[in-house]
Amino acid sequence: MTTPSPSAAGSAATGTPGSVAAGSRPPSDARRTRGVGSGLLPYLLVAPVVVFIVGLALVPAVFTVIQSFYRVDALDPPTRFTGFGNFVRLAHDKAVVGSIGNTGIYVVVGTLLSTVLGIGAAVVLQKPFRGRSLVIAVLILPWALPGVVEGILWTGIFDSTSGLINGLLSSFHLGGSHVLLGEHRLLTIALIELVQVWQIAPLSALLILAALQLIPGELYEAAEIDGCGAWSAFLRITLPLARPGIAVAMVQAVIATLNVFDQPYVLNGAANTAASVTMQTYFISFQDLDFGEGYALSLLITITTLLISLAVVGGIYRRVDL
Amino acid sequence: MRNRSGALRWIGVPVILLWSLIPIYWALKTSVQTEADARATPVQYFPTSPTLQNYRTLLSGSSDVADQIRRSAVNIVVECGLATVVTVVLATLAAYAFARMQFKGRKILFYSVLATMAFPAYTTLIPLYRIMSTFGLVNTYTGIVLVYVSGFLPLATWILHNYFASLPTSIEEAGLVDGANRMQVLWHLLLPLALPGIISTALITFLFAWAQFLFPLVLSSDLSTQPLTVVIASLQGRHVVPSTLLNAAGILTIAVPAILALSFNRYIVNGLLAGSTK
Repeated sequence: MTTPSPSAAGSAATGTPGSVAAGSRPPSDARRTRGVGSGLLPYLLVAPVVVFIVGLALVPAVFTVIQSFYRVDALDPPTRFTGFGNFVRLAHDKAVVGSIGNTGIYVVVGTLLSTVLGIGAAVVLQKPFRGRSLVIAVLILPWALPGVVEGILWTGIFDSTSGLINGLLSSFHLGGSHVLLGEHRLLTIALIELVQVWQIAPLSALLILAALQLIPGELYEAAEIDGCGAWSAFLRITLPLARPGIAVAMVQAVIATLNVFDQPYVLNGAANTAASVTMQTYFISFQDLDFGEGYALSLLITITTLLISLAVVGGIYRRVDL
Repeated sequence: MRNRSGALRWIGVPVILLWSLIPIYWALKTSVQTEADARATPVQYFPTSPTLQNYRTLLSGSSDVADQIRRSAVNIVVECGLATVVTVVLATLAAYAFARMQFKGRKILFYSVLATMAFPAYTTLIPLYRIMSTFGLVNTYTGIVLVYVSGFLPLATWILHNYFASLPTSIEEAGLVDGANRMQVLWHLLLPLALPGIISTALITFLFAWAQFLFPLVLSSDLSTQPLTVVIASLQGRHVVPSTLLNAAGILTIAVPAILALSFNRYIVNGLLAGSTK
C-alpha cells in the first residue's frame, strides 16, 4: 500500500524484502548487542516511521478490508453493512468485468515483454565494456519519467497523421493514417502496454543484470572448453542462475501491470476498450462516489496482486547455490 | 564466445539506446516545431525550421495554459522537495535504530514497516482520500506530502537499513569507547559513511514523488496544489491545446527527472538494487 508509485520500482523493490533479508541476517545480531541498554532512544528514532506506517498505511488498509463489506455511498447514505453486496454489484458491472479482461491482457503482455526485454538487455550488458555505464544510464531513463508524460510522448508516436509509426509506414509505402489507438481493442491494449513496458522494462533489466553479475566467468569458460555454444551456455548457465533476479523482476512487473493507471488513462481516456481495473476503481469511487464498491474492487486487486506475486516467487525464485 | 558476445553488443547496444531515446526525441522534435510543420505530410523526421516559440509561450506567455503549467511546476517542486526531505530524515533515524540497535520489538516493528511494501500502492487510495478530507487536508501541500511520505518511507527505510548494516562496526565502537553518545556517533561517524546510500534514497524518493499522478489527482482538485503531472494530463484531454505546446510541456515535465537520472544514475542503480535484491 505504500509506495504510491504506479511506476515500477516502488512496489518493485519490494518484491521479497522479508525473505531475502533473512539471508543476510546472522552476523549483525551479535554486533547489535552493544545497543542493549540504550533505553528509549531506539524507540524515539523509529517512532515517526512507525506512526506514519500505522496511521497512513496499516489502518487505511484495514479500513479497505472492512469497508468493502459496507455500503458507503455519498449519494446513498447512511453507511450500512451489506455483506458481499459490493462484490455482487461488481460482478454485474459490465465495465468492471470488461476491465478485468483488459487488465489480464496488460499483466500477461507486460510481464512477458518486460521480462524478455529485461533478459535481453541484461545479457547485452553482462560483460563490462567501454561506455557500459553510459548505456545503463540511458537504459534506466524511461523508468525515471512520470507515466503520464510517457503517455504523451507515445501519443506522438502513435498519432494517426503526424505519428512516427504512420510516418514510417507511409515512407515505406505501406499505407499511412492508420488509427492505432481506440479502434481495435487488442491492438489498443497491446500498444498501451508497450508504453508501460517502456517504463518498467529498465528495472527488470537492472534486476536481472545484477543477478548475472554474480555468475562466475569460469562457468562460461568451462562450458566453452566442453564445446558448449553461446546459446546453450545461455540456456544452461545464464537463465538458471539468473532465476532470483528474473523472479524479482517479474514480481515488480506483475505489481505494476496489475495496477496500471497512468498510461491507459492518458492514451485512451475513459473509454472502456482499454480501461484497467484501477481506472474503474477511480471512476466508481471518485466519479460515482460509490466508495463501498471502490473499496471492494481495491481489495480484489490487492489480493490478486499478492497471490500472483507469491506464485511467481514460489515458482521461479529458487535459491541458487554457487 | 568472445566474438559472438561482441556481435550481440553491436546489435544490442544501439537497440537499447534507440528504444530509450526515440520517444523522447520525437516529443523534443515536435516541441520545437510549428503546429503546421508537426502535422505536415509526409511526416518530418527532423524539425526543418526549429522554433522555441512553444517554450516561450509556456514560460513567459500570459495564456491560461501557461499560468497552469507555471503554477503546477511550483507545486510539484514544493511537494517533491518536502516529501523527499521528510522521508529521508525520518527513514535515516529509523534505519539507524533498526540496523544498529537492539531493542524489544525491533523485528516486529521492522517487518511491519516492510510488509506494507508488498501491497500495491492503490490499496489505500480511497481511505487516504477520506482521511485527508476528514482532516481538511485535501488541496493542501500537507495532505499530499503526508501521503507521499507514508508511501515512500518503507522503501527508504529498507534501503538505508541495508547501507547501515553494511558499514563496519569498528568505527562506531571506537566512537562509543571515546565517550560519544549514540546520536553523535550517527551524526559524525556514520552519516558521512552512509552518504551514498542517503543520496540514493533521496534521488529515488524524489523521482517517485515526481512521477505521482493518481494520488495527487484525487487529493487536489484545483491549481493550489495540482502538480505538473495532473495538469498536463488534463491539457491532453483538451483538443484546443496544440500538440506542439503539449509536447513542450511534456519535455519541461521530464527535464528534471531526466537530468537527475542521467547525472546520478550510479546512485540510482545502487539504491534500486540495494532496495530489491539485498
